[in-house]
Amino acid sequence: MSYEPRIVGFLCNWCSYTGADLAGTSRIQYPANVRIIRVMCSARVDPTFVVHALAEGADGVLICGCHPGDCHYSEGNYKTMRRYPLLKRLLAAYGIEQERVRLEWVSASEGQRFADIVADMTERLRALGPCRVRSGLEADLLTR
Amino acid sequence: MSELRIGVYVCNCGTNIAHVVDAEALLAYAAELPGVAVARGYRYMCSNPGQEMISHDIRELGLNRVVVAACSPRMHERTFRTACRNAGLNPYLCEMANIREQCSWVHSDRAAATEKAKALTRGAVLRVARNESLEGLTADMCPTTLVLGGGIAGLTAALELAEGGVPVVLVEKAEQLGGNLARVDLTAPYFYSARDLLRERLMRVQENSNVTVHLRSQLTSLTGFVGNFDAEIGGNGSSTTSVRVGNVIVATGYREFDAERVTHFGWGKLPNVITSFEFECMLRGGRIEMKDGRLPQYAAIIHCVGSRSAEFHGYCSRVCCMTALKYAHEIKSAVPGCYVSDLYIDMHAFGKGCEDFYRRSSEAKTLFLMYGKGERPVIRRAAAGDDCDMLIEVDEQLSGERIEIPADLVILMVGMEARPDAAEVAHTVNISQDKDGWFIESHPKLDPVATTTDGVYIAGTCASPKDIPDSVAQARAAAGRILARIAKGKIEIDGVFAEVNEALCSGCRICNELCPYSAIEYDLETRRSHVIPAACKACGACVAGCPAGAIKGRHFTDAQIFAQIEGVLV
Repeated sequence: MSYEPRIVGFLCNWCSYTGADLAGTSRIQYPANVRIIRVMCSARVDPTFVVHALAEGADGVLICGCHPGDCHYSEGNYKTMRRYPLLKRLLAAYGIEQERVRLEWVSASEGQRFADIVADMTERLRALGPCRVRSGLEADLLTR
Repeated sequence: MSELRIGVYVCNCGTNIAHVVDAEALLAYAAELPGVAVARGYRYMCSNPGQEMISHDIRELGLNRVVVAACSPRMHERTFRTACRNAGLNPYLCEMANIREQCSWVHSDRAAATEKAKALTRGAVLRVARNESLEGLTADMCPTTLVLGGGIAGLTAALELAEGGVPVVLVEKAEQLGGNLARVDLTAPYFYSARDLLRERLMRVQENSNVTVHLRSQLTSLTGFVGNFDAEIGGNGSSTTSVRVGNVIVATGYREFDAERVTHFGWGKLPNVITSFEFECMLRGGRIEMKDGRLPQYAAIIHCVGSRSAEFHGYCSRVCCMTALKYAHEIKSAVPGCYVSDLYIDMHAFGKGCEDFYRRSSEAKTLFLMYGKGERPVIRRAAAGDDCDMLIEVDEQLSGERIEIPADLVILMVGMEARPDAAEVAHTVNISQDKDGWFIESHPKLDPVATTTDGVYIAGTCASPKDIPDSVAQARAAAGRILARIAKGKIEIDGVFAEVNEALCSGCRICNELCPYSAIEYDLETRRSHVIPAACKACGACVAGCPAGAIKGRHFTDAQIFAQIEGVLV
């Protein structure tokens, strides 16, 4: 069987999760590679969630929040925006490819945008191949 | 903890789910997941028999967790939580797996969709195992209400509350009550006297023992949460008053655009170029005249000064067009024979009675000239021997010609803008401003007077330019909202909020700054931070931001989310 990347999506309840629901009510098709976890705000996405997902075998992690200026909690997405580059630097230091973790703004009306992002990310991860974090961790544990 | 007994319920949603997802395979898979005591499918889980199936199993099989694999939790989470509660199970011990909106409706490959539905269900099962029973809280509602601003909106809100029996603390920055309306003569389009409108409000405020007025004062600090705010009111001198209030209405109004910023109209240099507020002052004084005391023979009114411009404010100030028409009427009646020109970009006559007013004005021999949005009418001094003081050149849009008109008196319709202290007010009461500085409402259409801070309301022109009826309507709406909450007596607080583990808290106060609702307080004695549940909106920014991992986001704990991550990655 060919390789199918697995993406864990952390979506904020107010904009992005609602946008993903809208993709559903609009019957907009996208690849079945994403598994969505609902959080109240993108600012709740602790960097350890992303690391944990990769360590548990995810090939990519998608974080979605409200567009800047539209956050239900007024400024949570700005916090996400500032934390995200730090996380990317940390992941880069561990040799994890940049394309594996992605931050996108999806409003409650952007079902199509959400579907397009998932399709694009799935394609890119297919090209990139499986994430090595988990196998690396397992090898690391075995050699101890 | 007692042994896990999880019930998993797979909804077919008619054929909405089952036509793509293999519901039987999902059911068989779910039944084998750790802790699952029973797994059942049904055509419509949200129907009465579907809910009854869940309630029955909770009672008869002693279930202590429930997972419903069905539609979006945004659709039916409340339904299934209620079903659990009714059967004696804490509603937070119920999870949903979204296998319709985020699975069967967006995928057509049966095998892939079924695998994904299994993963989502497994995520919910692993998560629900770590869910905790939660209870909401109640808190007292202090009826006293703080009203910031003594203009028409603030006065109206104060009266509405005070006459409903609620104590009101009315704080006004200026020497006296009345706000910008106190500077106006007549109002458009019905020529009510602003003085009369205000006098009625002021008399009733003065007579009402429920209203305490603080003049030359401002709110210096607001802490606490809805129902229980502590407000500090600073006077002009050194005196400070502390008062406990349940709710706050911000009605701090606007200020007029500074005409000096538009240099090409010559305000401040040409003596007979005045702003609309200077003209109101003239009208209140009872005599329309030029600087040297002569009566004007030609008057010109220029709209949109500072408004609807790329250079200054992009928005429409809403009241200037009708005020300009009012001026044309007042000039014509006070100075018979005076020619009035009205230079506008677009005539905005949207309010009740305003289109009729515009029609009447058009018939009253006012010369209407339309200038383009990017255009600037040019004002210059007339030559000696001309029978006017100034000449205005304008590219008139309707005729397509460059026209020169005489003027002895030019009135600049200066728009509204956010007050310079609006940012300070926003910071003090913890609300937001839009790009133009106006305070942001909770929802622009459905919740226009509430804000993102519970218990803080906005009314009148501090939220955006508006006329008197709209300001009054907002003031009464805000007061009505507060009266309804006071009538309930207690405030109910959802069980989902953040909690600080004080044993782990290092007192660094990073979370204090992260919280958009000022819901985290630092205790100087214990040197620890703690969350005020009533003020917390459960966004989780502090939970993710705490370097010590000392904050727990109830119902969205690290353990719960980690479990869900592990669950979805089958």
